[in-house]
Amino acid sequence: MNEFFNQYFDFTVMFDHFDEVLDGFLKNLMVFVVAAVLALIWGLILALTRQLPGKKFMPLRGVTIAYIDVFRAVPILIVILLISGSLPFLDFLPKSIRIPQWFGQPDPYWYGVMALTLVYGAYMAEVYRAGIEAVPEGQVEAARSLGMSHGQAMRHVVVPQAVTKIPAPMLNELISLLKDTTLVGVIALGEAVLIGREIQSETFNSSAYILAGVMFLVITLPMARLVDYLIKRNRGKITRGSHIEVA
Amino acid sequence: MAEPMVRLQGICKRFGELEVLKGVDVDIAKGEVVCILGPSGSGKSTLLRCVNLLEPPEQGEIYIEGRDICKGPGSGTGEQSWELDFVRQRVGIVFQQFNLFPHKTALENVTLAQETVLGRSKQEARAKATELLERVGLGDRLNQYPETLSGGQQQRVAIARALAMDPHVMLFDEVTSALDPELVKEVLDVMRELAEEGMTMIVVTHEIGFAREVADRVVFMDGGVIVEQGPPAEVLESPREERTQKFLGLVLDH
Repeated sequence: MNEFFNQYFDFTVMFDHFDEVLDGFLKNLMVFVVAAVLALIWGLILALTRQLPGKKFMPLRGVTIAYIDVFRAVPILIVILLISGSLPFLDFLPKSIRIPQWFGQPDPYWYGVMALTLVYGAYMAEVYRAGIEAVPEGQVEAARSLGMSHGQAMRHVVVPQAVTKIPAPMLNELISLLKDTTLVGVIALGEAVLIGREIQSETFNSSAYILAGVMFLVITLPMARLVDYLIKRNRGKITRGSHIEVA
Repeated sequence: MAEPMVRLQGICKRFGELEVLKGVDVDIAKGEVVCILGPSGSGKSTLLRCVNLLEPPEQGEIYIEGRDICKGPGSGTGEQSWELDFVRQRVGIVFQQFNLFPHKTALENVTLAQETVLGRSKQEARAKATELLERVGLGDRLNQYPETLSGGQQQRVAIARALAMDPHVMLFDEVTSALDPELVKEVLDVMRELAEEGMTMIVVTHEIGFAREVADRVVFMDGGVIVEQGPPAEVLESPREERTQKFLGLVLDH
């Protein structure tokens, strides 16, 4: 039993390697922040494209739906490997895209951001869609009857209401995104888990993993509590809302 | 006779298997107030929603101020064949469920489309909105959100919102049906005033009293067709058709 604690909770190992693991975790956070912002934007674009009306946009809608389906269904690791493995060799692209090192970040960082944005854009498009579909049809009818175009109705009436309905599921996606940034370690970005592996192979001890895990918990646990709080608050709002309608 | 404001000819509409409108013809003159009565499922709301193309008819023609607004539904491609801009700038509609924008104040509800659709400046739109909200008796509620207003107040904001677009025709789709009884009058009063000012109005309603008092003409619909129409005194007091008599008997019993 003592071995168990030594393997997983060796505080000397944790203490000695704290700075390295923290450095790694900061890389996770940096991938997370940029990928989260980009995925939130990309997801909204996908969701809005999916809602475009009329026969004219049918092909575009079809492509969007196919994109969302495929990227939701494929392991993220494959996407990461597809990008990092072959983007550097696509000669028709400028070098700054093949081997991106923008803002002083190494190319594995950007490959990871790209892959996570592509995949999480698809996840988030679905969350936006749920929000958009939760806005009553009458809202669109009212906006359109006042002469607004589809785009104006979306921008001024539907989307502002849709985003107030989805903070909880969106936060869940963000929690998953943060955890999935560890996958970028596979292409040699020195993030927390990769650092942990190096420490493990050096010390034959897994305590650094536990340390990395705790760092994730520090961020994700409050997020999870916030989700619960938002769901509860939202439920309250719905009850109050229906009460008003009845009254 | 002058050109009718709205002319509906042979309007047919089906939802899947269900044939909701089976060839409706009706003309509405400028300044005329027409109340459409009928049991639920008679097609009266659908007919109203055809006029501003919320429910484009499958067959038939709609003319607004003499202009054919649905040039052969079968001929065009989707929305392109409908003259949506022309219609929506001339026809205002008020819904049973108000459909106010919940994230906007009363004032913003009335200014939004003025700015985005008509391109009015912020000041212009605000001035117009304030004037209209005062007219419907809500001058002191400009900055309140819909959820803080009563149903009757919300519906009056909705009327002001439609009027802000300077419509030539106003459609009212059972606008008092979702209201508590004591709030019905304040909405009907606004509509009555509007009628007195000469607005062309098509009103789908269950308010027989309002129809009797305000309408120039009452149209009774059942089963997707117009059963009977004429001056309110005639249709409401001495209906010729059995279906009208039966419906009025049921409604007026209360």
